Amino acid sequence: MSSASLATRRYRLGTELFTASAKYFAGWILTVIIAAAVVPLIISQYRSVDISAWAIAANVGKYLIAIIAGGYVHTLLPITVANGVTRREFAAAMGVFGLLWSLFLGAIAIAGFLGERALYGALDWTQAIQHEGDDEVAVRSFGDALDFAAIYPLAYLLYFTAGVLIGAAICRSDSGWLILIPVIPVTLAVDDAMTSAGPWGPGWLVRFLTGATDGWSLWFSVTVALVVIAVGAWGARRLIIDSPIRAKQA
Amino acid sequence: MFDDGTPIYRQIADQIKAEILNGSLEPGGKVMSTNQYASFFQINPATAQKAFRELVDEGVLYKQRGVGMFVADDARDRLAGEFRARFFDDVLKPLIHEARQAGISLTDIIDYLKTQEGALK
Amino acid sequence: MSFSVSLRDVTLKYGDTDALSDVTLTLEGGKIHGLLGRNGAGKTTLLSLLAAFRKPTDGEVLVDGRPVWENIDVVSQVALIREGGDFDDTETVKATIETGQLRPSFDLEYARKLAERFELPLKKKVNQLSRGKRSVLAAICGLAARAELTMFDEVHLGMDAPTRDAFYKELLAEYMDRPHTVILSTHLIDEVANYLEGVVIVDKGRILRHDDVEAFQGTGATLTGPADAVDAVTAGLEVLAEQRLGGTKSATVAERLDAERRERAAAAGIEIGPVGLQDLFIHLTDPARKETRG
Repeated sequence: MSSASLATRRYRLGTELFTASAKYFAGWILTVIIAAAVVPLIISQYRSVDISAWAIAANVGKYLIAIIAGGYVHTLLPITVANGVTRREFAAAMGVFGLLWSLFLGAIAIAGFLGERALYGALDWTQAIQHEGDDEVAVRSFGDALDFAAIYPLAYLLYFTAGVLIGAAICRSDSGWLILIPVIPVTLAVDDAMTSAGPWGPGWLVRFLTGATDGWSLWFSVTVALVVIAVGAWGARRLIIDSPIRAKQA
Repeated sequence: MFDDGTPIYRQIADQIKAEILNGSLEPGGKVMSTNQYASFFQINPATAQKAFRELVDEGVLYKQRGVGMFVADDARDRLAGEFRARFFDDVLKPLIHEARQAGISLTDIIDYLKTQEGALK
Repeated sequence: MSFSVSLRDVTLKYGDTDALSDVTLTLEGGKIHGLLGRNGAGKTTLLSLLAAFRKPTDGEVLVDGRPVWENIDVVSQVALIREGGDFDDTETVKATIETGQLRPSFDLEYARKLAERFELPLKKKVNQLSRGKRSVLAAICGLAARAELTMFDEVHLGMDAPTRDAFYKELLAEYMDRPHTVILSTHLIDEVANYLEGVVIVDKGRILRHDDVEAFQGTGATLTGPADAVDAVTAGLEVLAEQRLGGTKSATVAERLDAERRERAAAAGIEIGPVGLQDLFIHLTDPARKETRG
């Protein structure tokens, strides 16, 4: 009816995507939170706990965020366009959703690390992020936990952007999946640069890719991540606003 | 309802004419609206409108703005007159042609018509 | 403010093949148009362009006189309902209907009323619906969109005859209640013929014919009689189809027979029958048809 409601529709759609997703995934998120506490408790019956379960959960979350983001573009773009929404609006809505979603899950990640610090501290377990030979990189205080976890909202946004970019490329063109070839190594490298620039390098990541980023400072890595996110978002938007809505498979 | 050869609007027009001729639509009487016609017969309202326009052009119906369509006072006489004019060419001529093909002579036909006239009186 | 539609020299290629080639077409606003064509003729492609689902390779697509691509004021009032609908299959029927509210013009009350009338199970997931119910859901979303240009692409597929009938009835009622532009793409021509005002026949990526429905209904004729006589009367006319049984021949022509030809036909004992829109369509798009047009 009113053009005012049309002008703000993209932001409404973005926030609605966020609330609907938070609701939809609430059960999963809760399950992961409980599992991250219960599994170490079970393990502690047999051996000493010397690894952060939450670090594993929070890291797997990165890939899930990328997959969900790509899936959203792929399923929702045709549906929203069919409901009279422009691709530009959809791209903006995905941007709003991505920001809220990364902040939300990032906040949960941070809270998780702090909570785990409390649990591990009380039971005198080692909240280790990684083991390199006999050396272990571990969280030993709430300050450590915050230091390590603070990067997660940005890391999540990075993976979200990567997922959207891949989903958009697949919508845009049949050979769009080829974009995986540059997007995956760049995303992993930038993520790794951010974490290993602090004292928390997860050495199990593809090291050979990231030799070049070894000398980067934390703030330089964060700046690179922001630039990569901006370029990725710009690219994804370009792909989305040019995507055809394909014929449906019968 | 409709045969698919002739345009529907013409079939509707013919039907309204037939109703006027047989008296089920009185002179001065109100005709259904375009939309009523369209939803009753499940046809596009433009089709019904076309039929009405044709009938207005022929002077069979007249329009009263904001009120509706009405049967013209002289509609029945006019239609009967038109029918009389068309009768010989449109009805009798093909009939005679067919009768000839079947070997029925003109005298036979005339004789038959005469007996019918007696029967009808 | 029903939307008119116009395509100017529009070509759309899928790879190397032309789905539409050099199509120019104008459809008046506020009318119900039928879009007829065989499978793969280019109907869906044409509608996809009008809904800005696709961008033409070449040419201009205007809706309401404005370019439709990425035009928020236009596309928010254009609805293309594709066969089977564009749904998130894991959503419930209720949520799917509510998604329609992305359009400011969407009438949720009307959608709910229709869902009840057509007995849609609101709590079921879309992927649990039968094909017929799925089509009904798509049709309901299209009607309740209350768009200025609403296009139904083979949406009747899977609906049984009474449901189709009820859908067409509702469509007509909605149309009379709120004049807007409708394009119905279908194979079941005879079912919708009476609802149409204009007819467009698409064949092999081109517009074969575009005219008022009356022009189609009035034009064709089938002449049946002695072969020689039929040939004589149809000489110079575009014969769409011929059939022969012994000395009797039946010929279908696409044009209106003038009085002189009618008289000659009658005199030669030829029977003249009507050609329905469906038959005319079949003949016009028959791949084996002799190319007689200029």
